[in-house]
Amino acid sequence: MESGNVFQDKFIEILKAGDIKCILLENSEENVASTPEKSWKSQNPNKMSCSYCHIDFSDVSVQREHYKLDWHRFNLKQSLTGKDPITEQDFELKIGNDDLSSISGSDSEKEDTLNTYAAAQGKIFLQSGNQIFSLYKCLAFKKKDELDDKLMIKNLNASCVYKEWTVLMVSGGHFAGAVFKGMEPIVHKTFHCYTVRQGQGGSQSSRDNKSGGSNAKSAGASLRRYNEQAFVQHVRKIVKQWEQEIWRSDLIFYRASGPYNKSILFGGSNPILEKSDKLRKIPFMTRRATFAEVLRVHKELSSMQIYENMEFVVKHLDKHRLLCRDSKRNRSRSSQINRAKSREIVSRPLPINYSPENNSRVNSCSENEETEHVTLDSSLQEISFDHLQEFEIMEEPREKTSKKKKPKKSKTKKLQEQETERKNELIDILCQGRIFKLKDLIENIGTNSDENELNVKKELQINFVNEILDEEGNSMMHIAAINEHKELVKFLLENDCDPCKRNKKLQTPYSATSSKEVREVMKEFAKQYPEKYNYNKAQIPLNTLTPEELLEKKKIQKKLNVKKTR
Amino acid sequence: MARITNYQYKINDIGVFSKLTNSYALVADGGSTSFYRAFENELSKRIPVIHTSIAGCRIIGTLCVGNKNGLLVPNSTYDTELQHIKSALPDSVEVKRVEEKLSALGNVIVCNDYMALVHPDLDRETEEIIADTLKVEVFRQTIAGSVLVGTCSVLNNQGGLFHPKTSVVDLEELSSLLQIPLTVGTVNRGNRLIGTGLVVNDWRAFSGRNSEWKEIDVIKSTFKLNESHSPTASDSLRARLIESLT
Repeated sequence: MESGNVFQDKFIEILKAGDIKCILLENSEENVASTPEKSWKSQNPNKMSCSYCHIDFSDVSVQREHYKLDWHRFNLKQSLTGKDPITEQDFELKIGNDDLSSISGSDSEKEDTLNTYAAAQGKIFLQSGNQIFSLYKCLAFKKKDELDDKLMIKNLNASCVYKEWTVLMVSGGHFAGAVFKGMEPIVHKTFHCYTVRQGQGGSQSSRDNKSGGSNAKSAGASLRRYNEQAFVQHVRKIVKQWEQEIWRSDLIFYRASGPYNKSILFGGSNPILEKSDKLRKIPFMTRRATFAEVLRVHKELSSMQIYENMEFVVKHLDKHRLLCRDSKRNRSRSSQINRAKSREIVSRPLPINYSPENNSRVNSCSENEETEHVTLDSSLQEISFDHLQEFEIMEEPREKTSKKKKPKKSKTKKLQEQETERKNELIDILCQGRIFKLKDLIENIGTNSDENELNVKKELQINFVNEILDEEGNSMMHIAAINEHKELVKFLLENDCDPCKRNKKLQTPYSATSSKEVREVMKEFAKQYPEKYNYNKAQIPLNTLTPEELLEKKKIQKKLNVKKTR
Repeated sequence: MARITNYQYKINDIGVFSKLTNSYALVADGGSTSFYRAFENELSKRIPVIHTSIAGCRIIGTLCVGNKNGLLVPNSTYDTELQHIKSALPDSVEVKRVEEKLSALGNVIVCNDYMALVHPDLDRETEEIIADTLKVEVFRQTIAGSVLVGTCSVLNNQGGLFHPKTSVVDLEELSSLLQIPLTVGTVNRGNRLIGTGLVVNDWRAFSGRNSEWKEIDVIKSTFKLNESHSPTASDSLRARLIESLT
């Protein structure tokens, strides 16, 4: 890519040759098919077909089924956006890739196409032979002109060959203007009047208009009022002097934002600038009106990019656009934090326990670090088996030397395997809803222990029942509820299985299940034993009515209403 | 039989202000006397005509949808309105509030007593509620490139009138899907949004006062409201009308 400017001979030669045309860009990512296939025709004589999905049906029931599919819905969407339908296999693939954004439809964010992006920058792309140029659209067209090749060539010829341009900028009491011939300014002038209110900003006149009758009477206010009028006269005088040059110039670029600044250039009985075809707004952001800025604006406007080929243009623009988009997104993301939503739970490592023996034994720093690491390892593993190994742990104190730890690791591995096996077995039992098996298991727990005290036994049973079984943090109750075993849920509730436990999705068993019946069972249990658990925490509604009661209530209400209407 | 009426002087979009089904009719408050008289004269012997608003709005035709089995109202409906409608409706009709993003249910759903066409973006849950309450089969569909199926079409159990830009292929497909004959047409002197100017049930149709006799004739024959139905004459008329429109 090279940059140049529109006054170079090279460009003028190309212009004179006249074989330039405007081009529209297509996105590199998504190649939109140019014409949707209209050729598909139903072969079915009874018209049992779907023209959106290009498919025929053998009978009505199949057709009805089809109209309820997501695939059909997706193709409906495709046809609304004027795209080709996709086949069922493609759709399955898409679903597999979780690329379902287009199904959910209206809320999907529309990305700018390259063309609109280019347009937003105020540029057009021209092609002449193999070369591609981009330059500001305002050089060739007025704001509302359509892209038309002939008009463009005519306008470009006019504006670039004679090379005379005027740039005028008015803002906040600053005026800067210049008339250029080629890249050189012929005449230029800048000046500044104090019209903008200090601190608050805004011109004095707009402030006066807002405040109605009660105008500020301070010295500063009257000074600014006077300066505003003086400013207008001053600008008039200058432009009057340049009348010849401005009249001669082919394009007049101006910047005057807001009604006050516009009124300076276009207001009054004989305005400075008359409405004509030459007038153009400056199509990008400008800074304070100074001579340097006027020079920059002129340079920028007359600049032109030359690309080698189409691909290059697309790549270049795409890169810019992605950058823009990313920064936009980042901005919006950082500004909007949803505080109502609960934050994700981040699992952090537990703090390391320094045992006194460890500290006393280890002297050097490096060794300390090593042992620290090792102790962290072992403690992590032991925490996960607490409930299984109570007795072993109690009997055998922790091994201390690092040498002895190696064999223990393999032992823990074995234990881990056993543990997962046991858990899987339990999950199987729960999934199949075999109550009796579970009952046996629970009763067996107590007998293993040496102490046959009732308290210990009970505690162990509760621990067993409330154990977390799978990676999603589901307890027995969750699994039973999700698999919709009513009896099992009831049995578990009776055996002190806590319904308040939440899994990793923060669901209690009541909210995890999708079956109404299981919920009914839970509600009933809650009614029978209102004191047993904290039902509020378990999200089980206590004061709901059974269907029969609801019906009765409705009847009473209806009766009341009838009475009222009478 | 078809009847013409207007809601107020110069407001002919009666489909917006009323809802007509085989077991009840809803009309909005604040219409002209002739509007109410038209409905009550024709209907009140057979079905209740209920004066109501929905969520305080008069545009009840666009906000709610129903058939002989049920009535769906948007979530914004007031409790008092719901109570009023429930008490006035026959017992066989189930009324349900629908929590749906596209709350103008009348615009996004069109149904008769057996089938319903709905907006492609409607929620799954809403779809189920429609199927359960109205006891219909639900199909997602677009009509004439528009997703607002309720404004672009009107159905009863004998036929359906669609937006004139609906393609012939679509019309044939839908006809085979819904198992009723479908035609295209306009109301209110060329208004293509059928749903805004026309309400029908199995034995009556009301269309805006601006409707031309040609349009009324198409309506009569499509919805089989004409007692002395002569297919040849109206068919040729319909063809002419469609020709002039396309």
